[in-house]
Amino acid sequence: MSAAGLPFKNLTRKPGRTWALVLLTAFLSLSLFAGSVVVMSLQSGLRSLEARLGADIIVVPAAAKTKTDFQNILLQGTTGAFYMDAGLLDQIAAAEGVEKAAPQTFLATLKADCCSSRLQVIGIDQQADFTVQPWIAQSSSRELGPLEVAVGSDISAGVGDTLRIYRQSCPVVARLSPTGTGLDTAVYCSMETMKTLLEAAEEMGVSHKVTSDNAEEVISAVYVKVAEGASVDQVATSLMSHPRWKVAVVQTRSMITDVSDGLAGVASAVKVLIGAVWALSFVILLVVFALLTNERKREFAVLRLIGASRRSLRRLILTETGLVCLLGGCLGIAVGAAVIFLFTALIESALGLPYLTPDGGKIALVAVLSLLGTALMGALASARTAWHLSRVDTGSILREGN
Amino acid sequence: MKKRVLPLVILCLSVLIAVGSQTFLSPCVHEDGSFGACHWAGQAMLGLGCLTAVMGLLLLFRPGSRSGLFIAAAAAGVLGTLIPGTLIALCSMSAMRCRAIMQPAMTLLCCLVILAAAAGLILEERKGGRKP
Amino acid sequence: MSLQAEAISKRYFRVTGQANYFEAVKPLSLTLTPGSVTVLMGRSGSGKTTLLHMLSGLLTPTSGRVLMDDTDLYGLKDASLSLLRNERIAVVPQGRSAVDTLTVMENVLLPRQLYGKMAPAGEAEKWLEALGIESLRDAPARELSGGELRRTAIARALVQQPQALLADEPTGDLDDENTRLTLSVLRDQAKRENRIVFIVTHEAEALAFADDAWKMEAGALLPIA
Repeated sequence: MSAAGLPFKNLTRKPGRTWALVLLTAFLSLSLFAGSVVVMSLQSGLRSLEARLGADIIVVPAAAKTKTDFQNILLQGTTGAFYMDAGLLDQIAAAEGVEKAAPQTFLATLKADCCSSRLQVIGIDQQADFTVQPWIAQSSSRELGPLEVAVGSDISAGVGDTLRIYRQSCPVVARLSPTGTGLDTAVYCSMETMKTLLEAAEEMGVSHKVTSDNAEEVISAVYVKVAEGASVDQVATSLMSHPRWKVAVVQTRSMITDVSDGLAGVASAVKVLIGAVWALSFVILLVVFALLTNERKREFAVLRLIGASRRSLRRLILTETGLVCLLGGCLGIAVGAAVIFLFTALIESALGLPYLTPDGGKIALVAVLSLLGTALMGALASARTAWHLSRVDTGSILREGN
Repeated sequence: MKKRVLPLVILCLSVLIAVGSQTFLSPCVHEDGSFGACHWAGQAMLGLGCLTAVMGLLLLFRPGSRSGLFIAAAAAGVLGTLIPGTLIALCSMSAMRCRAIMQPAMTLLCCLVILAAAAGLILEERKGGRKP
Repeated sequence: MSLQAEAISKRYFRVTGQANYFEAVKPLSLTLTPGSVTVLMGRSGSGKTTLLHMLSGLLTPTSGRVLMDDTDLYGLKDASLSLLRNERIAVVPQGRSAVDTLTVMENVLLPRQLYGKMAPAGEAEKWLEALGIESLRDAPARELSGGELRRTAIARALVQQPQALLADEPTGDLDDENTRLTLSVLRDQAKRENRIVFIVTHEAEALAFADDAWKMEAGALLPIA
C-alpha cells in the first residue's frame, strides 16, 4: 500500500458517486471536443472551397433558378442538369474583362452500377479548363483519355477501379483530394467521354435533356477568370445584363461569403451550446462538491487525527478530482470521436455547408485541450471543497455524536 | 440481478440493429422498387440483429455456457461491423443514406455489442477464477 | 522524553451569565512521563476531551504551551506538527473514527500509509489478534459495530508505535471483558514499551490500571486521592 493508493481506493469504493462525477465530466469534454471539431471542420471546408473554386465568376443559364440550384450541386452534392447554348462560350470569352473561360457540361445519371445512387457527371473541356485539372494533376500526370474519369473523394471507387455508367466501363485514373463540398461526389470526364455516355444512355432508352446529337451545342456552366485590373462586379453585371444571353452569374466571392455567414451562425450556436453545458455542469459540480464537503468531513477529520497535513488533504481531493476528470474526459472524447467520425457524412448534409475534417494532429491537439479544460473545470469546482476539508475542525467534528 | 445487466444491454442493442436496419436506419429509400447492394446489407443486419438477440435471450434466461455466448456475441459484433461496406459494398457516394446513416450507426451499435460482450466475458471469467 | 502542558487553558466565545466566553479548561499544568499510566476522570462537559485534544496537538490552547520534549507543538508549522503527530502522538478519539470506505486492516495501516511507510511485519496482525478483531481484518469499516470500531481505532494507534498514546473513552462501547483486555493492553504499552499513556474515562475500573489519577470538575484539574 502506498500513499498514492488512497485516492484510488476512495474512488473505487464509492462507485456510484464516482460514476456520477465521471459522467458529468464526460459531458464537459464531449461538448468541448465535438463542438470544436465541428467548427474546425467547417472552417477547413470553407478554406478548401475557396481554394477549389478557382474561378471568379460562374455563368449558368438563367432558367436554372440558378444560384440555389448551382450552390446545391456545389455544397450538398445534389445532382443537377441545366443547359444553355454552347455558342455563348465564345461570346463570354470575348467579353470585356474576361481572361479565361472554360465550359462544363453536367449530367445527372439516373443510375450507376450500385443501388439507386445517382452520379453527378461533369464534362470538362481539357484545353480550356483551369479549375478542375490542377486538382486532377495532383493524382494523375496526364489528361483524361476516352472513358477515363476522375472521381471526388466521396466516391468509393479508387484509382484502378472502374465505374459502370450506362453499361460503359469507365476506368478511374485519378482521385481528387477531399474538399468537404458537393464536388467530392462528382465524377469528371472529358467532353468526348460525355458524348459517349449519352449515346450509351440513349441505347438503353434513357433520355436526358442533353442528347448525343446536341451534346456539342450545349453546356451547363462557364467558369470565368477575370482579367487583372478588371472589376469582378462590373464583369459579372455586364455578363448578366446582356440582352440575348439569358444567363445568371454566380460570383464565387459572394458564394463564399454566404458560406462563411452560415459557418458563423453554426459556430455561434455551437459556442452557446458549449457555454450552456459548461455553465450548467459547473453549477452541478459545485453543488456536488459542496454536498461532498459535508459527507466527508468526518473522514477528513480522521485523516487529520492520524497526522495528515492540510496540504496532503488538499492534494488528496485534487488527485481524486483529477482522476475523475481524466476518466470522464477520455470517455467524453471517445464518445465524441466515435459519433463525429462515424457520422461525418450525416453532419455534413445536415449542416449543408462545406465540411472537411481536419487532420489527425489538429484533432489530437483539440482532444488534449478538451481534457485540460475539463481538468481545469474540475480543479476549480473542487478547490473550495479542498480548502474547506483541509481546514476541518478536527476536535469538534470528532466529538460530534457517533 | 447484476448478471442480467449486460445480457439485457446486448438484447436491446440487437433489437436496435434488427429493427433499425428496416426502419429509421434503413439503407435506402426505394423510389423505383429496385434493390441495390445496400438493401441486402440491411437485410443481412436484420439477420445478424436477430442472431445476437437470441444470444441475449439465452444469456438472460438459460443458465450455463455464458462465456461461450459472450464470445459468440462479440464475434457476431465484429461481423456486424464488417457487413456494411467491407463484406457487402455500399453505394459509391458517401452522402447516400446507406453510407451516411446505416453504416456508421451499425458500426456504432456493433462496437457497443462487442464492448458489452467483452465486459461480460471478463466478469464471467473472473468469477470463474475465484471459484477454485 | 515527556509531554508537558504549561499553564494551558481554553476559552470559547459564548455568552454566558457574566462573561462573553466560556472557560472549558482553566489554566493548568500537567506533565506526562513515559512508563506510567495517567487516568483522567470526570463528568461529561467537564473539559476532559478539550484537554486531551490540546495535549495531542489537535486544538490550539487559548494560553499556555504544550511541549513534547522541548518542542512547542503549537509553535510548529502545520506540516511539521502533522508529521510529529503521525510519528509520535497517537490518539484514540471518541465516536466513530474509521474511514468508512476502507477495511479494518487498511484503517489500521492508514497512519503509516499516509507517509508512504510500511508497518513492521506482523505488527498490525498482532494487535488485531490481541484486541480480538482479527476475523474482521478485511471487513469494510462501515459494517462494524461501535465496539469493533473502538478496538480498530486502538489497534490503529498501537501500530503507529507512538511515544505518547492518548485515549478518549477507549472502553466506551466495550463489555466488561473487553474493557479489562483493552486497559491491560494500554498498561502494557506504558510498562513494557515505556510509552506515555493518557486515558480519559468515566469508567471507575480504569483507576485500577493507573499510576497517576486526576479528575476534572468544571475545567479545573484536581488530583484523586
